[in-house]
Amino acid sequence: MLVIGIESSAHTFGAGICEGGKILANEKEMYHISTSGMIPGRVAETHIRNAALVIGRAMSKANVKFSDLEGVGYTMGPGMGPCLQVGALSARTIARRLGIKIAAVNHCVAHAEITRNMAHMSDPIVVYVSGGNSQLLRLQGSPRRYHVIGETLDIGIGNMLDTFARGIGLDPAWGSTVEKKAMSGSYVELPYTVKGMDFSFTGLLTKALELANTESSEDLCYSIQETSFSMLCEAAERAMLLSGKDEVCVSGGVAQNTRLREMLRKMAEGHGSRFAAAPNEFNADNGGMIAFVAERMLEKGYYTPIENCTVKQRYRVNTAVVP
Amino acid sequence: MKNKGSLLSEGAEAKVFIVKAFGMEILVKSRLPKDYRIKEIDDSIRKRRTKIESRVMYRLNRAGVRAPRLFAAGVFSIYYEKLDGKLMKDSSLGSKMLKKCGMLLAEIHNAGISHGDFTPANIIISHGTPYVIDFGLSEVRNSSEEMGIDLLLMKRSVSSSMFKKFMEGYAETARNPKPVIDKLEEIEKRGRYQIRTLG
Ligand SMILES: Nc1ncnc2c1ncn2[C@@H]1O[C@H](COP(=O)(O)OP(=O)(O)O)[C@@H](O)[C@H]1O
Ligand SMILES: [Mg+2]
Repeated sequence: MLVIGIESSAHTFGAGICEGGKILANEKEMYHISTSGMIPGRVAETHIRNAALVIGRAMSKANVKFSDLEGVGYTMGPGMGPCLQVGALSARTIARRLGIKIAAVNHCVAHAEITRNMAHMSDPIVVYVSGGNSQLLRLQGSPRRYHVIGETLDIGIGNMLDTFARGIGLDPAWGSTVEKKAMSGSYVELPYTVKGMDFSFTGLLTKALELANTESSEDLCYSIQETSFSMLCEAAERAMLLSGKDEVCVSGGVAQNTRLREMLRKMAEGHGSRFAAAPNEFNADNGGMIAFVAERMLEKGYYTPIENCTVKQRYRVNTAVVP
Repeated sequence: MKNKGSLLSEGAEAKVFIVKAFGMEILVKSRLPKDYRIKEIDDSIRKRRTKIESRVMYRLNRAGVRAPRLFAAGVFSIYYEKLDGKLMKDSSLGSKMLKKCGMLLAEIHNAGISHGDFTPANIIISHGTPYVIDFGLSEVRNSSEEMGIDLLLMKRSVSSSMFKKFMEGYAETARNPKPVIDKLEEIEKRGRYQIRTLG
């Protein structure tokens, strides 16, 4: 089934084309973050301007015509309302014009599923780390859903890293600035908070910002990464051992960080478990993963009537069926 | 230590060994290094948890709350009494025993401690009496939030009728149960601790 997927939950407008589980195109345009962070309305305006361009580019990369499309998927949530609206509107427009069905996709499910499938894992612990979310997920029940077995008690790790970068005067290019600076840093002590399989980041963020006047930015970048990633690894390790799973994968924007992947790999392999991450284009927000999940949903009959294709800013992952 | 002894249990962060000392069998719980995190962090976490575990065990011993007796504490290891009995999670419990488990948690809270991982995997029933173990996540500071989470973890681990019996014991013995029980309801409403079924 030839399906187009549209993603617009945050700063990226993406369009991907998928057929038979293969991603034929994965195009995107990003809103450029300024020092003031993201103002949802502004981001949404950028998405509106980029939508037709990105969708058109995906169609020509995949070498398909509009009339070839058999289904459309879009991110229903979670995310920022005004941004999500742009994707939902695009999806409804395409579906109405072509008379095809729509799948309303959960963003977190899409991240987890694209990674799980590319890694050929059946039942992993998924470490889902993005701007607003940080969760340990696992498939359970029938129909299958991702259950949250551990999560941040306050803010998402991506937002924590971006807020920190902005706070010490770096240009927060979605975490990668911190990663680069961290390479030449050494350790200063920061708070480490893990409670069973949950963790929290605000104490760490506050302390790191307090130290900005006395410690070098390299040292702080290094230490905030080492501390927060160690916390995630410890929680994931506990989840893995308590549930008896032998596969771990990482997905979401922060999964692009090389150091995080290296630590999780060491943790998993230290217990004889397999570790995997998807290529970075699928860790960043993208339309390809939405198309991938949408195709499966439509094939299994999970479509949403067009009048119900709205957005859910707080769409909890454990309420979405995994096709 | 020369003689590592025989391995009794291996958890996510510690191994428990049985060793011979003072002419009897005692336990050593060692927090072993994790090579995925840098040494500075690894050492400091393991030290901190070992320290809190020995402090809490010592406090409970002094307060007369049933827990293994602490013999000695090293940097990454504690040496303590081996109890003979079964974990609560592997035992079938009558209402009297459940009530006693509730009383045990109340005594822990009365001693100014929140446990942090109060589940049937961390209670040993020995000669008809429950004992509490495993204090790596404990705090010597009992806010009603932390104490509420202790109740919640137990609630999530047993049936509702079992929890009712447990709570009878808790409410009877706790010095100030009302705010903790209110907190339990509040945390549940927040919904963050919803589904945590493992296994
Ligand atoms: N004092 C004790 N007497 C007998 N067995 C114990 C004692 N302490 C711990 N154990 C055994 O070791 C296991 C792990 O100990 P615990 O302190 O709970 O460590 P962990 O952090 O690995 O859960 C327990 O489940 C129990 O079977
Ligand atoms: Mg234990």
